[in-house]
Amino acid sequence: MKRVTIKATINHRKYELEVRPNLTLLDLLREELGLTGTKRGCEIGECGACTVLMNGQAVNSCLVLAPQIDGEEILTVEGLADGHKLHPLQESFLDHDAVHCGFCTPGSLMSAKELLDRNPNPSEEEIRMAISGNLCRCTGYQQIVEAIKETRGK
Amino acid sequence: MLAEFGTDAQILAGGTDVMLELRKPTARSPKALVDISRIPGLKGVEESGDSIVIRPLTTHTEILRSDVVATYAPLLRAAVSTIGSPQVRNRGTVGGNVMNAAACADTVPPLIALNAEIKLKSSSGERIMALMDFFVKPYVTAARRDEILIEIRFPKLPVNARSSFIRLGRRKALSIARLSVAAILQKDESGVVTDARIVPGAAFPKWQRVPEAERLLIGLKPSRELFAEAGRRVSDVMISFTGRRWSTEYKVPVIAALVRRALEACT
Repeated sequence: MKRVTIKATINHRKYELEVRPNLTLLDLLREELGLTGTKRGCEIGECGACTVLMNGQAVNSCLVLAPQIDGEEILTVEGLADGHKLHPLQESFLDHDAVHCGFCTPGSLMSAKELLDRNPNPSEEEIRMAISGNLCRCTGYQQIVEAIKETRGK
Repeated sequence: MLAEFGTDAQILAGGTDVMLELRKPTARSPKALVDISRIPGLKGVEESGDSIVIRPLTTHTEILRSDVVATYAPLLRAAVSTIGSPQVRNRGTVGGNVMNAAACADTVPPLIALNAEIKLKSSSGERIMALMDFFVKPYVTAARRDEILIEIRFPKLPVNARSSFIRLGRRKALSIARLSVAAILQKDESGVVTDARIVPGAAFPKWQRVPEAERLLIGLKPSRELFAEAGRRVSDVMISFTGRRWSTEYKVPVIAALVRRALEACT
């Protein structure tokens, strides 16, 4: 299959990539760029483990084709921390034991990031709505909600 | 491209249905995937005189945040608010929901209740049709392979109209509708119903209004008993279409209750 050339910003860095047109964004990140923080879960847009931000909006990277990110800005969990300094959301997830097995964590963080960027002071209901596309089988969500609450306004 | 590849081409918009379909082992892989998601001018909601125009690439999230939709078509806003998850709503489009034509498509009952028309375009021209006439059966529409949807248009709801959308899923997020009901009620100053529109979702072989139940309401004042009777009429109509199936025992009381609640939510 003929490869296509795309230009995209991923985690604040500009890339020019040659990709198969049927490659998913998830596979591009994990298999070609080594950004394995984004998790492969259901691959049908239900579990949210592969959530990344595309132009600031949470999307399931398993449902986006690599050519569709041409000219766009992608942020994955690897792009959250500032050097060795964790993002306040990451700190708060650790403080509130919101990370158990860790598989949903990158996706949950990205959904939380979209919410707080858009609405720095969300209600609990808005927080629960924002992470409703991220399945977590460990925490029962309570610790994740608490962690996001604590990050409000930071 | 659509004309050239015919049935070997598949249109891609938000990808929340097509990408799933392509993954299935039984999928018939299209030779060409035509990504329309960046065609300029096919996105957005606008007022056009007494009508609202929704361009097909408008995402569910954009519908949810549209003041125009909130003011003139609040039932459509209610319907998109529970589609999939935030991630799915950020990518999935209204046009894709309509064109995919799944029986559980949440935007369709409200759009039919709003008397929506759609505009289809191909290299040989454009045509307009009522949305209600567009669907043949689940996943099958009247669109030809070389046509794309370019516009959804419906009259603004009058200021005295009330509308609602109620859906029943197995859980709140990321579930598909088992059954749903879109309803619009309009009353005069004395409280008498002057217009009623009821469109069930996932209940009939194809979407339609239920004149048998709507007529019952016209000229009367709303009451719980009246709405319950309208609900029973809808379930009668459902049985007349589908016959009695294994799920009928469940669906009959549930659709009747959803219709009653949807109408109550309009008062």
